[in-house]
Amino acid sequence: MSVPGFHRPKSVEDAARLLAETDGARCLSGGATLVAMMNASLAEPKAIVSLAGIPELAGIAELANGGFRIGAMTRHAATAGDARLAGTLAVLRDAARQIANPVVRNMGTIGGSIGFADPAADYPPALVAANAEVEIANAAGRRRVAARDFFVDWYTTACGPGEFVTGVYLPPPRPGAGLYKKLARVSGDFAIASVALSAAKDANGVSIRIAVGGCGPRPIRADAADALLSAKFGDAAAAAAAGEALAAAADPVDDVRASAEYRRLVIPRLVAETVAHARAALEAR
Amino acid sequence: MSATAKAVGAALPRAEVREKVEGRAQYIADLYRPGMLHGAVLGSPHAHARIKRYDTSEALAVPGVHAVLTGDDFGDHRMGAFVKDEHAIAKGKVRYVGEPVAAVAAETEAAAKLAARLVSVEYEELPAILSPEAALAPDAAIIHEDVASYFKVFDTGSTANVCSRTSLTEGDAAAWDRCDVIVEGRFATQPQAHVSLEPCGALAEPDATGRVTLWSANQSVFRVQANVSESLGLPMAQLRCLTPRVGAGFGNKMEPHIQPIAVKLALATGRPVKLILTREEDFEIVRARHPFKLRVRTGALKDGTLVAREVEVLLDGGAYADDSPGVLGYSLFMSPGPYRFRYMKASGTLVYTNKLRFGAFRGFGNPQVSFAGEQQIDEIAARLGLDPLAVREKSMLRPGDKWFGGAEVGSNGLEECIARVKAASGWAKRAELEPSAPGRKRAMAAACTAHISGLLATGAIVRMLEDGSIVLNTGAVDIGQGSDTALTQICAEALKVPIERVRLASPDTDGSPYNWGTTASRVTYTTGRAVVAAALEVEKQIKQHASEMLECDAADLELRPGGRVGIVGVPDKAVSFFEVSARAHWARGGPIIGHNSLVFEKPSVDPKRAIAVGLPFPQIGAFAFGALVVDIEIDETTGKIEVKRAWSAADVGRAINPLAVEGQLEGAFVQGMGLALNEEMVWDGPRLANPTLMDYKVPTTLDSPHEIHSIIVEAPEPDGPFGAKGVGEIGINVVPAAIANAAAIALGKRFNALPLTPERVLRAMLGK
Repeated sequence: MSVPGFHRPKSVEDAARLLAETDGARCLSGGATLVAMMNASLAEPKAIVSLAGIPELAGIAELANGGFRIGAMTRHAATAGDARLAGTLAVLRDAARQIANPVVRNMGTIGGSIGFADPAADYPPALVAANAEVEIANAAGRRRVAARDFFVDWYTTACGPGEFVTGVYLPPPRPGAGLYKKLARVSGDFAIASVALSAAKDANGVSIRIAVGGCGPRPIRADAADALLSAKFGDAAAAAAAGEALAAAADPVDDVRASAEYRRLVIPRLVAETVAHARAALEAR
Repeated sequence: MSATAKAVGAALPRAEVREKVEGRAQYIADLYRPGMLHGAVLGSPHAHARIKRYDTSEALAVPGVHAVLTGDDFGDHRMGAFVKDEHAIAKGKVRYVGEPVAAVAAETEAAAKLAARLVSVEYEELPAILSPEAALAPDAAIIHEDVASYFKVFDTGSTANVCSRTSLTEGDAAAWDRCDVIVEGRFATQPQAHVSLEPCGALAEPDATGRVTLWSANQSVFRVQANVSESLGLPMAQLRCLTPRVGAGFGNKMEPHIQPIAVKLALATGRPVKLILTREEDFEIVRARHPFKLRVRTGALKDGTLVAREVEVLLDGGAYADDSPGVLGYSLFMSPGPYRFRYMKASGTLVYTNKLRFGAFRGFGNPQVSFAGEQQIDEIAARLGLDPLAVREKSMLRPGDKWFGGAEVGSNGLEECIARVKAASGWAKRAELEPSAPGRKRAMAAACTAHISGLLATGAIVRMLEDGSIVLNTGAVDIGQGSDTALTQICAEALKVPIERVRLASPDTDGSPYNWGTTASRVTYTTGRAVVAAALEVEKQIKQHASEMLECDAADLELRPGGRVGIVGVPDKAVSFFEVSARAHWARGGPIIGHNSLVFEKPSVDPKRAIAVGLPFPQIGAFAFGALVVDIEIDETTGKIEVKRAWSAADVGRAINPLAVEGQLEGAFVQGMGLALNEEMVWDGPRLANPTLMDYKVPTTLDSPHEIHSIIVEAPEPDGPFGAKGVGEIGINVVPAAIANAAAIALGKRFNALPLTPERVLRAMLGK
């Protein structure tokens, strides 16, 4: 493993320019993913563009509209520990605190994690359930993509060549609950299956967004599931139907963690349990 | 032996704990020698193929490359603990994916790895045999065409793809007719990886005479020496084998890994060569726990008395025999569990397949047979409406009872083990346990076990230095389990000196007495015996000197705490070890050195009681006993099992270091949990699909129960050092069985295959 070029730009614009100009360059954020892949000879970048020196990529900032921007370099531990991510946004905190182990949470970043786009990772379904947007930069400027469109396929995002993730935009939190339920072989492993759910509750009723991780090339969602749950949140039959809708939308594969068949079996069960927990959380408010 | 000394029984931290905590401990990867080259290997892409030709020209052209070796550079020398079927590197054929076919030494690790990838090998593919059933098919491709001519250390009955057959029978099969209840089942267990923190590695350095010093991660410097010597055709005396700290073994470092290749590279280049396996290579080419296929039948009277059992095993040994014949024999030997049966028959077949070698792994076949046998005892209890531990107590081996086949059992603390786990776990009230939350099922269950500690040869040299301090040299490798500390305690106790006055020499084939290895739960028991005997020899010499110095009869002398020897009943008549040793070194008699050698000699089988065929160990060891209770919960949503609490009792004879004993029982429990719940090496066709720590998961601290209660039972072994016997393996044996028993109680379903993944459990719950 050797890396000919190591760059540490000071701005997003410089980073974007370096990425565009340098053949075979990869962004390095926390290193939890890229360095592990380099060690395993699965990634052999010809140059590294470190994002560590770009101030605007660090930390979580509250926006004028009451929402938040999470900089790409924000560590999982910081996201897990930010009490401002409350109500419907708690789904993201709940997911962040279940990533890997303390060492990885202190090192890994949200930009690195979602840029890698492992569908069994914890952020992708949580960002979909939180109705987040992902900010992408390139040499020409920046654009934003809804999380549900950002994850395109196995390890593939909406980022094109020369593009990288600079941050995540979260809508203003709404009163309610956010939950992330993960089934894994051992603590800290990637999910066999996971369910991310945000439940907004106000005088008009309940509004649900739900997504499933680990069960296909990208986070699984279904309009029918969101609609069923939003219309009849207290109803076990609706939860079961939503679970079936999500299981039908899933496209799982057999892997070393579990079979595709098991995942289809367990999705409705995990959905029902997550919905029940969310209902309890709403009632406890 | 002594009422006053305190070294034995003291709960001491490891002698080397500080250097490990501070990160200063040196493992094989930390070692460097002047002019050292780095080695790399190329693994076979095929599971079974004939090697047609090599082209090493591209590899040799890589800058910094000093040597590229293939099977053609190695002589036709074979090694193997039981069957000499294995070359140092593939020669003529490859027999599993990843098998080393070429090796490179270069100035840098990167150059070595690059060059290894550039070695071109032309293969003629052969049908890959990927299951033991396929190996036994009449038209199966033959993996070892020359198996009949291989040297074997016992009568294996090898033929075609069968590596060995073993059977052991005792009693009259008519006992089956007396049984009121008979349970029968087929069971399967999975391959488990050792996942030592430290991957395997070696550093070989030749001197100008061609003699090689070899440091490696190992469990026996003497097995390293023997295997390198055999596989390279070198005299053993041409090799000096050493070991730095070892980052755990669990069995995978007992027999060779890449030491012979490292030595060959060093001899070819005349330079020191270090070869460290990557984690992936460590998974793919070292060895793993055997998958077992079992058919087991157990019968009992209606009062629960166990009567008869038959066990039939089909064992996948992988591409080379390695320790497999031993695992087969031992698993059959242990298959009754610690119970009296009127009739017991155990038989098995070990076959070659095109997978990596399966070999020694903590438990050595015992967890697999226990998974079946201990579940059947619970099944019998359930059929008869009896308490499963009461059934075990009724038929358990009692002090004085012999083992299956007639081996003598020295001490037996099983009854106390069962009593202690029952009391500690609240066994009598287990039916009242409530789940911790809705949607969960909870159950408590038990299992019992025995294990041996012993086997083969051991020595100890106790030397008193001029100042009266002691250097103990045993050649036993401490692989992290704490034997250095325990042996030091034994030596200090025997000579009644403070533990700080005893230091342990590092294993060295040039200077240490022979030690077969750190395996078979044997070091404390066998090496401890040699240490006590060698210390006794030193005591005799001390007393001889002191009797001359104090002008008295040696028989009137006693050792006194703190390193003195004096006249019994005369407190002020004494001399110090310093005075004695200085006299020995400078005036009379010569340096004080005590030595002892022993081999475990009690027969495994009494031919008057049992018929043994192909049992590879004529003498085996002392018996330790254990009992385990687990309290588990099952998540009804997913099928995931969580172990809430565990009580693991082991009869260790005497706990030389109770802290280390607890460490062994806890570590064994968690490793057993991995075997029970989620660990499994999975093959995708001929290729291992999960040879990484991302895809192969071991339990973490967060998966381990908050409560693992280690319960030490001490039934002193008559010939053990201060009564001690081994504890390294016993704690793992029945973890899968006990968890499966609890799952059966919780769900009303039996699990005949491991691991008990959420998938397997949920499917059973739903009948899907």
